[in-house]
Amino acid sequence: MDKDNKEKISLGEENQFVTFMIGSETYGVEVLKVKEILGMTDITHVPNSLSFMRGVINLRGAVVPVVDMRLKFQLQEKEYDTFTVIIIVEVRERLIGMIVDTVSDVASIPVSTIQNTPHFTSKIETDFIKGIGQIESLLVIILDVDKILNHEEFKKIEEDKTA
Amino acid sequence: MSESGIIEIFQNEAREILDNIENDLVVLEETKSSEVVNRLFRYYHTLKGSSGIAGFTSISEFTHSLESCLDLVRSGKISITEDLISILLQSTDWIRGTLFEGGIGEKYDTIKNDIFTRLEVIRSGEALPVSVVADKIRYYRIKAAFAENIFEFGIDPLIVMEDLFESGEVVENFVDRRKLSMLSKLDPEKCYFSWRVVVKTAKSIDKIKEVFLFVLDNNEIIIEDITSEYVENLDEKRGEKKLGDILVNKGIVTERELEDVLNEQQKENKKIGEIIVEKGFATPKDLNTALGIQDDIKKKIESNTVRVDTMKLDNLMNLLGEIVIGQASLNRISEALDEEQGYRLKNALYGLDRITREFQEQIMSIRMIPIGPTFDQFKRFVRDMSKQIGKDIRLDINGKDTELDKTVIERISDPLKHMIRNSIDHGIETSEERMNCGKDSQSVISLNAYHQEGSVFIEIKDDGRGLNYEKIRAKAIAKNIISKDDEVSEEKLKSFIFLPAFSTSDSVSDLSGRGVGMDVVKSNIDALRGTIEIDSIKGKGTTVRIKLPLTLAIIDGMLFRVGNSTYIVPLLSIVESIQPKKDDVKTIKGKGEVVLVRGEYVSLIRLYDFFSTSADHTNPWESLLIIVETNGERLALMIDDLIGQQQIVIKSLDSYITQSSAISGATILGDGSVALIIDIHGLMSGLKNEKVIE
Repeated sequence: MDKDNKEKISLGEENQFVTFMIGSETYGVEVLKVKEILGMTDITHVPNSLSFMRGVINLRGAVVPVVDMRLKFQLQEKEYDTFTVIIIVEVRERLIGMIVDTVSDVASIPVSTIQNTPHFTSKIETDFIKGIGQIESLLVIILDVDKILNHEEFKKIEEDKTA
Repeated sequence: MSESGIIEIFQNEAREILDNIENDLVVLEETKSSEVVNRLFRYYHTLKGSSGIAGFTSISEFTHSLESCLDLVRSGKISITEDLISILLQSTDWIRGTLFEGGIGEKYDTIKNDIFTRLEVIRSGEALPVSVVADKIRYYRIKAAFAENIFEFGIDPLIVMEDLFESGEVVENFVDRRKLSMLSKLDPEKCYFSWRVVVKTAKSIDKIKEVFLFVLDNNEIIIEDITSEYVENLDEKRGEKKLGDILVNKGIVTERELEDVLNEQQKENKKIGEIIVEKGFATPKDLNTALGIQDDIKKKIESNTVRVDTMKLDNLMNLLGEIVIGQASLNRISEALDEEQGYRLKNALYGLDRITREFQEQIMSIRMIPIGPTFDQFKRFVRDMSKQIGKDIRLDINGKDTELDKTVIERISDPLKHMIRNSIDHGIETSEERMNCGKDSQSVISLNAYHQEGSVFIEIKDDGRGLNYEKIRAKAIAKNIISKDDEVSEEKLKSFIFLPAFSTSDSVSDLSGRGVGMDVVKSNIDALRGTIEIDSIKGKGTTVRIKLPLTLAIIDGMLFRVGNSTYIVPLLSIVESIQPKKDDVKTIKGKGEVVLVRGEYVSLIRLYDFFSTSADHTNPWESLLIIVETNGERLALMIDDLIGQQQIVIKSLDSYITQSSAISGATILGDGSVALIIDIHGLMSGLKNEKVIE
């Protein structure tokens, strides 16, 4: 309950978002959630992991899991190139990397232009789409990084914490 | 200092004091020793004072009435009964509740009132004059240095001393023989000895003086009443003391005897205590008192410590981990350098490696704490439970000083508790049953901890009825784990105990509950990278042995390559590595591949297959096999190449990253890449589960 309120407050008048591209779409995540942006690096594959989990990387001594957003969004896989980046975000005090096609900008999006997620067909997970904002004529899909991992996976994190 | 700071400090202190009180209460019930009463009295007193300062007035008032109750015990006005101990134990619960859970509200008031009423009953009840704690016990220290010419006055100092010894219990007895000269110069008409004696007695100081009435004037006799300081000032000056010294000091064993014993010990590698008793120099009882003193002295020394936030220790450990990683990357660079420079760098690194290892040991030793307090907390638990269930059980504790990593200790406590509960509930028979089997009606559960082979072992042993294999078998059949006609070894039957929801207890008691248990214990121990095994002899008892690693953070690992990936196996699990002959590899229908290793068939795991990656070779006879072992079972892992051994800093992986039990964590290699650590135990149990599912 509290958490929801806070989220609303943080979406004040105007918020800053890191925007990036996956395919031809532009996405955004709140700038405060982003820890850093890395170029592509060696990824160690982990067996028996979630389908969209690429593996783990070494982030200055910390082992951080990375998620391929193309796999997460069920898009066609694309070979990694010099533009491919890993955006490290913080989810519930843990770091997770998102592999995206290219990073674009840090942009301010007025809250008033952000609309709630329209109901897509149920085929696509909409949980982690917070809303859709607008920068001039460009539509930006705003992601809720807290929900990169779905409910089940989260429960696991929480269990780990209490364990 | 802020107020919350004070409260926190007080809470920490109180937690310790309450633990001590609980232990001592249980000890008091057994021994009824006045020393323990005094110690308890001091604990309550400290608690009263500190709680007042920290603003917990209700606790302060509460402990005040407990303190006055104990005062009555001390003066022998009330005797130590089971009832009294129960009330006092309950009162510690109340204090705990008030301190850590707020403790306001009716529930706590009711408990408090209940405690007070029961205390009042005891207090007003039969004021037993026959009490174990005698009236006004005093301690006197007597220094008696007799004049050399004392015999000329017709006085035998020995008779005087014997008189003294009869006036009470001699707690300490030291004879100063330094003045004694060589035999050739010895004048038999002179007295060379002086005594230093501490006597525990109910008599007044005047009575003691009477003993020395005739010698007071011409000899140096000093008699002091040291009751107030005696128990506290155990021996802070001398620091840690050896058992032998204590015995000599107490006058139980002479110096010459001790020398004998020490010589013997060098030959036979036995404990000093054992030899002393064997030789008849001291009774086991004497030995126990001396051991008690040794313990107390140790405690004194241990209290000379600094409290450090564990976060700081964790940070230190993490930093050390980074250093180890940095070192590994320097090592890689040294390989790329030309021979001479590479050699020099390697040499320097070798030195550095030694230091970091030592550094690591030191940090580790800070994190290591003795298991004693964890064991001690079970004293009350066993007492309460055995009272509740009506069995007579004694808890024996050994190896209190064995040190373990703090995290391990924190996580081992619950499993231990569970297994003790199992022993009490299922393992140990009722007193009647025991009598019928010709056993002692009191049963013993013993906890033991010791170091061996670079690991820590913890044993929980009971002298109960042992595992009932028929029952386990019947249960396994009922659960469709085995079929009626299967021949199943006892070894195998034992392993079923660790399966989820597998309980053989007929009745569900509120103590052990139903079935949930040993599987949880096992998974807890697995998480600590430990193993657990059960030995059981029917009618004689059960021993559960837990083997735990000394540390959780850094291991020695073997690096190897499969395709493009590097993996690590803990060095301890590796038996050997071999290149098999083509003929030695066989496929068993439906059960996979096996390979003949030294006359024994071992399951072959193609790691590239298991991890769904690629490999250089797909024929086992072209690649390498490493033979690994856990719990006495072997596996052959098929790999491409061995890279070498290295210290590995374990970084845990969140469980959502992989569901595979074969991966216990990851580490960062010298080149900055991440390598996965294979947990042989997990790999093996993963394979077994697969088979069960099939």
